[in-house]
Amino acid sequence: MPPILPDFSSSVKLKYVKLGYQYLVNHILTLMLIPVMAGILIQVLRLGPEEIVNLWNSLHFDLVQILCSCFFVIFIATVYFMSKPRSIYLVDYACYKPPVTCRVPFATFMEHSRLILNNNPKSVEFQMRILERSGLGEETCLPPAIHYIPPAPTMEASRGEAEVVIFSAMDSLFKKTGLKPKDIDILIVNCSLFSPTPSLSAMVINKYKLRSNIKSFNLSGMGCSAGLISIDLARDLLQVHPNSNAVVVSTEIITPNYYKGNERAMLLPNCLFRMGGAAILLSNRGSERWRAKYRLVHVVRTHKGADDKAYRCVFEEEDKEGKVGISLSKDLMAIAGEALKSNITTIGPLVLPTSEQLLFLLTLIGRKIFNPKWKPYIPDFKQAFEHFCIHAGGRAVIDELQKNLQLSAEHVEASRMTLHRFGNTSSSSLWYEMSYIEAKGRMKKGDRIWQIAFGSGFKCNSAVWKCNRTIKTPRDGPWMDCIDRYPVYIPEVVKL
Amino acid sequence: MAEGTFIFMVKRTVVSTGPVEPGKFCHLSVLDRLMEQNQVKIVYYYPSRADVEPGEWIEKLGDSFASAITNFPIITGRLQKNTEGHWIVKCNDGGVRMMEAKVKGSVEDWLKNVDREKELKLVYWEDMSPKPYYWSTFYLQVTEFENGGLAIGLSCTHLLADPICATMFFKAWADTTLSGIMSTPPFFYSLPLSKADNKNPNQGSYTDLIDYYKSSIERPTPLITNQKYATITLSFTDPMVRDCIAMAQATGASDKSRSLAFEALAALFWVCLSKIKGTNGRLLKMSLCSDMRNVLGLDQRFFGNCMVYNKVHLESAGENMLPEASKAIGEVMKKMNAEGIKDLIYWLQCNDNQTVPLMNGYDFMCANLEGVNPYLATFKDRIEPLRVSYYVEPVTGPGQVLIFRSAPGEGPLSRVAMATLPEDEAAKLCEDDLIQRFSPTVLMGTNKN
Repeated sequence: MPPILPDFSSSVKLKYVKLGYQYLVNHILTLMLIPVMAGILIQVLRLGPEEIVNLWNSLHFDLVQILCSCFFVIFIATVYFMSKPRSIYLVDYACYKPPVTCRVPFATFMEHSRLILNNNPKSVEFQMRILERSGLGEETCLPPAIHYIPPAPTMEASRGEAEVVIFSAMDSLFKKTGLKPKDIDILIVNCSLFSPTPSLSAMVINKYKLRSNIKSFNLSGMGCSAGLISIDLARDLLQVHPNSNAVVVSTEIITPNYYKGNERAMLLPNCLFRMGGAAILLSNRGSERWRAKYRLVHVVRTHKGADDKAYRCVFEEEDKEGKVGISLSKDLMAIAGEALKSNITTIGPLVLPTSEQLLFLLTLIGRKIFNPKWKPYIPDFKQAFEHFCIHAGGRAVIDELQKNLQLSAEHVEASRMTLHRFGNTSSSSLWYEMSYIEAKGRMKKGDRIWQIAFGSGFKCNSAVWKCNRTIKTPRDGPWMDCIDRYPVYIPEVVKL
Repeated sequence: MAEGTFIFMVKRTVVSTGPVEPGKFCHLSVLDRLMEQNQVKIVYYYPSRADVEPGEWIEKLGDSFASAITNFPIITGRLQKNTEGHWIVKCNDGGVRMMEAKVKGSVEDWLKNVDREKELKLVYWEDMSPKPYYWSTFYLQVTEFENGGLAIGLSCTHLLADPICATMFFKAWADTTLSGIMSTPPFFYSLPLSKADNKNPNQGSYTDLIDYYKSSIERPTPLITNQKYATITLSFTDPMVRDCIAMAQATGASDKSRSLAFEALAALFWVCLSKIKGTNGRLLKMSLCSDMRNVLGLDQRFFGNCMVYNKVHLESAGENMLPEASKAIGEVMKKMNAEGIKDLIYWLQCNDNQTVPLMNGYDFMCANLEGVNPYLATFKDRIEPLRVSYYVEPVTGPGQVLIFRSAPGEGPLSRVAMATLPEDEAAKLCEDDLIQRFSPTVLMGTNKN
């Protein structure tokens, strides 16, 4: 969707006009205040000092009046501070790094596919084409149970994977933050496709011997955007409970969900989903303000489930042979685009500078009143954010969003490289992307980050973070041993 | 469940720990290409240890194997045919198939009544599939014995490796578990060629070798019949081998390039089997297979086929069969020098045709595997192997005997011989007088009471 003005962006003059316009509109209040203050100052100076003293004496100050005024001011101030939402800080987070022995190169994946689906060469061909264009690299990992021919997805293996991923991430988080298990007040675990009894949150409580009055939640079935839903839930809980720590664990357990049939629409997740997980520590304690990495500014959730097509576009069901898999419909990208537009419409006014909002408003009015054929104005989100973390759902998602939001290659680099190195790790991919940006040393104080996640339902959720302090390149983390190799050039098609 | 029954067997793929550079290919030599129809199978037995959890060793071995194969991209690659119709290996990082198995009983009990059929169950092998690009060339099987002990079976296509380098690879893997680094990394070279001025191979000094290969390639591949084979493993201690050498009157002890132990034992088997097979006083047709790495000046870690076959011939022998047989063998071994081998390689390159013979299916074959010591393969926290067995499959025709070193501590000249023969002949071998003169220990018999 091109901008309404003809493309003179190469013209330098237009660039300066745009800059001038933005500066003017964004700082309009300041710019209006300055002449007003100047006017008052001149007026005061003209009056002369005696006149000012006379003016001062003419005001009768009564004790009652003074007390009432003070009381009034204090009352307003208290109401303001009490009703202001608590600041939620992200103290730190840790991502799980799978062991090298779980690596699945393309050749191995294709061989297994061929050996398991040996009666369906067409399905194997389809998987090969998906993998070639997927944007994944040769270092993504699948859990050990999936390395078997045929895969051995027992309940025990699934629990095993959950334990390894979640406990590693949490151990790493405890080490980084110095958090003691008994100081966790709120625990939220989200894992969409594996939901045993007792829940994964109970598993965490059992392992780390957490307090008996902990508020624990386990979110399942909410898809790849569940990570941000958990953050939203944590935020709401931290508004109610003062002085608390909340740990959010986002993961996806692959073992029980490897599709064993040959329906094409359901084979896609096999090609893209990989092992991964993240643990995040959020807090509303004032003492964390100094060492917290980020502050949560906004969370915007959009649900398109009311539309039947959106509801059915990512659907878990049985195929003709009775094998369960997740079917992705062909209009997934279109529905994602719609959901994104909805989300942007809500988040735009919250984050965009006034200049962009004004342009959007004018275009909207113009379209409604003058000429409906005017192309809608896409606000320039690059002015609102320094970094973008787009859920690494697949190459198509990142391409679509890059086009829609008119982002440069550097803006989507974190997403593309996360997809290449770790694959689609579902709800935790946003945290790998944040980790990439930090590992590259690009995160400075005051930077604003936009995390966008899509999920089944169909949902589009956004979170806006503000960087609290400049983050030094971390010496640990999932990118530690390979960050120097990135960014890599990912060809359109990798010949297998 | 009875002892020795398999409780489970599952298959998976082990992938190397570091990604392979894309676009790498490994070319195979002329000696490699001749061995396409054969496979190498080696079984290593490790003793029971009290402090090991069930399943723990299978996992550890899988992980260490994954690191080890990172140094051998030829092993994790897949076969493809190049434009000339020759096999090459595309290093595509496909990985190696691994079988995990568990057997009732202990390894010590198993070894007491193992035979060929049982032992081959410890080594997994799949023949080349119609789509070789998806076929793993190496297979690893780790079998845990429920009551203690471990068996590791390694099998591979003879196209890529001979028993010598397969043993070196296994040792390199074991070393990585000891010290974390591979102390004997492999060498990938091409085979050395003749000097440029010796262009006409027919004018070489030793043409018998080339003639033998020519006839092997030209004759039709023997059909694999329903003949059942049995394998007998005989262990000869140091004094026994010395007796044998003395009896064979093998001379030339100062010549280090010759292996008197092998020559004497090969002569012994030649004579005994001729008697058993009933060749009327003549010695049966036998070919020798020997490692040429030293002869060609290649490092022991050369990865690839470097074992050469040659026919040994003795028209008739009088009363002193053993010494004469030994002398004939000695002469053939001496003639397989660097020039002769290089001429052979050159001839093979010039006369490149697409037929692939079965090199060891026609005559009785006697292979010298003394160049490596398999007992050096010690894994961390495990002592040395209890026993090692070698197989070169498939076995057809008169059979074969493989001679290799035995466990250290039994003396530098002690040897193990594994003879694979038709069932009835195998039984007779153990009872043969000449063999009984040296009273070797029967490690594995036919188990038929």
